[in-house]
Amino acid sequence: MTAPAIAPDAIAYDDVTVRRAGNAIVDRVTLKIAQGSFVALTGASGAGKTTLLRLVNRMVRADAGRVRVFGEDVADADPPELRRGIGYASQGVGLFPHWTVAENIAAVPWLLRHAPRRRAARVAELLDLVELPRDFGDRFPRQLSGGQASRVGLARALAAEPRLLLLDEPFGALDPETRVSLADKISELHDLAHLTTLMVTHDLADALTRVQRVIVCDAGRIVADGTPASLVASTHPAVVALIAAPLDQADKLAALRHPELVR
Amino acid sequence: MLPDRLAAHLGVSAAAIALAIVVAVPLVMLLVARPALRGWVLAGAAVIQTVPALALLALFYPLLLVIGEVTQRVAGFGIPALGLLPSLLALALYALLPLLRGGVDGLASVPPETLDAADGIGMTRRQRLIQVELPLAAPIVMGGLRVAAVWTIGAATLATTVGQKSLGDLIFAGLQIEDWSLVVTGCLAAAFLAIIVDMALWRIETGLGERAWGKCLLGLGLLVVLVVGVTGWYWSKRAPVAEGERPVVIGAKSFSEQYILAELIAARLRAQGVPVTIRSGLGSVIAFRALAAGDIDIYVDYTGTLWDSALGNKMPAPRGVMLATLTAELPKRHKVEIAASLGFENAYALAMKRADADRLGIETLADLATAAPRLRMATDTEFQSRLEWRALQAGYGLKFARLTSYTPTLMVRALQSGEADVITAFSSDGRIAADDLKLLADPRGALPAYDAVLLIGPRRPELKARLAGLAGKIPVEAMREANWQVDRDTDKRTVQQAAAWLEARAK
Ligand SMILES: Nc1ncnc2c1ncn2[C@@H]1O[C@H](COP(=O)(O)OP(=O)(O)OP(=O)(O)O)[C@@H](O)[C@H]1O
Ligand SMILES: [Mg+2]
Repeated sequence: MTAPAIAPDAIAYDDVTVRRAGNAIVDRVTLKIAQGSFVALTGASGAGKTTLLRLVNRMVRADAGRVRVFGEDVADADPPELRRGIGYASQGVGLFPHWTVAENIAAVPWLLRHAPRRRAARVAELLDLVELPRDFGDRFPRQLSGGQASRVGLARALAAEPRLLLLDEPFGALDPETRVSLADKISELHDLAHLTTLMVTHDLADALTRVQRVIVCDAGRIVADGTPASLVASTHPAVVALIAAPLDQADKLAALRHPELVR
Repeated sequence: MLPDRLAAHLGVSAAAIALAIVVAVPLVMLLVARPALRGWVLAGAAVIQTVPALALLALFYPLLLVIGEVTQRVAGFGIPALGLLPSLLALALYALLPLLRGGVDGLASVPPETLDAADGIGMTRRQRLIQVELPLAAPIVMGGLRVAAVWTIGAATLATTVGQKSLGDLIFAGLQIEDWSLVVTGCLAAAFLAIIVDMALWRIETGLGERAWGKCLLGLGLLVVLVVGVTGWYWSKRAPVAEGERPVVIGAKSFSEQYILAELIAARLRAQGVPVTIRSGLGSVIAFRALAAGDIDIYVDYTGTLWDSALGNKMPAPRGVMLATLTAELPKRHKVEIAASLGFENAYALAMKRADADRLGIETLADLATAAPRLRMATDTEFQSRLEWRALQAGYGLKFARLTSYTPTLMVRALQSGEADVITAFSSDGRIAADDLKLLADPRGALPAYDAVLLIGPRRPELKARLAGLAGKIPVEAMREANWQVDRDTDKRTVQQAAAWLEARAK
């Protein structure tokens, strides 16, 4: 046996299956995500995206197969310790309502027992990074708009300088303008912090222009995996539908703007 | 009387709530971990809640007696079945439902996505509980605690019936002798305690919600100062109890005659240099058991009551037989002794206005039987289900034109206002002389006798000699007058004054 000379993959799924209520909601998935890559995970609602993502920080356990993070089997890890090392922004944001924005952002550093000063400095840095005014640190989550809350969620995920970032629909139900600015922010942060980012998104338009790789899943399986450009060539109906949807919308939009072109 | 009752009340309430919390916390944790058990445990707590607090307290007494007997046999020590222990257990059980509900509902109210976020950032179970679940559940948990505290402080007034000092002493005594200022004082004091405690808990609750630790500490401090200060004062004050000799504990059930006789006995014993304490307001059945168990040393009971409750006889016997049998059997069966027969009866009897009785020529129950079809009878609510009523039917075959049952006060009103012609009465009731009622004689001896007797428990046999002088010294007329002094609405006397008056007659 020879030691691997190259760096291990950030995430490696090896024949992973998750069953719920008799159905395989993740069905024998094998997948590798290299360190430093920015990957979008997409697919229709209920396709298994969230489940795939949560396998990484062991919020979901594999019923069969293994998940490795930087070469280590997550089944052998202590879940709290594993999770503190991985930035995670969940689908519903899930800020702690009784903690201030600053305390929410500093949650993981606090768990890791960073000194108060260091935490305060980090909070200030992150508020700048996600473009929120510093005095937002004293607000409570109920005093934030949806987009502001998403930014705080992102800042919380980044607070302990993880190497791996898991984002579950960070654009949630945001308006288009906020989506674009937040998507830009995320890709900027990705580059800045030398992260490996796995981002679940419903909507290809956000992802296509910014990521290097898109993985499409459908009914718990991977049905397409490649550069954004290569997706267009796919004939899988799930992929076709996914690409068609925004185009269809764009057509309709164009038709509204230029009714004279439509017969 | 008020300050030490207040202190005892606060002490027993605080201890009960503390005990309930100690039980509720692990139970809530269990229910959160095993939601399947939730329905069962909460239903169990709800069932406890439906038992009236008075009955729950009374039930703990015999239970503890049995347990005490077992520990006595197995480990060589008994446990006190009267006073603090049953009150503590019953009140704690009573406080359990709001605490469990608050805990379970509070924890269930934490949004799942918040819990998910807590797990997702790497909190341990413990951290999640302390940092996220408890603070978010706090308003509901504290709500449950506040309900429990207010209930417990209210229900602790009932601890009087199992011999625990509390504000209930004032209320029960006041209700009995119709001294409304006593009743109101007791109620207001309990309400005052409840309000202060609730306010302190409310401070803690808002403090937790706003994470204003100063507020929490203030509330907590208020509670600690209140409980520690008041109960501490109470303990320091009750320290000078003579080491060697335990005071004689005189029991009294919850009616005027019993209070007066307890004071009279106390005065006699004090005059002989014997230290005494009085435990008044005891439930009727509890008093006898407390005596047999040695929790009280002496009290007055009635032969007719003992015949049924202590010896289990369902059929009445002639007066002399009853007294002789009790005198012989009680020491054998219960290690309880009849020290003296006081000389009067507090028996059920039928009474009429003297004028009516004379007009109709009714002297006895036999006369009444002839006139009954034209007369209206009012009984207290209990009487028609008692053995006395059946005995009356069997002995005289009474058939009235109308038969109604009332609460005791309303029954007397019905007679006064002419809505009833015949009522039930107790032969030593002060009202009989005052309202000029005629008690109808019972030539066939159908109604059982209720001779007042002095009962002495196993621990203090010497009391028999000390109180022998009371035998036959209290005629029914004197007892009626003493009762009336306390019961009447105008020119009321205190229980102590009435006892002193009676003592002067009993020389
Ligand atoms: N605990 C569970 N029990 C039963 N079914 C489950 C459970 N968790 C998830 N599922 C099912 O597994 C499938 C995949 O769920 P998942 O949350 O991964 O979908 P998703 O791709 O993230 O969907 P969305 O885009 O709507 O968030 C869904 O059909 C869901 O109903
Ligand atoms: Mg999802």
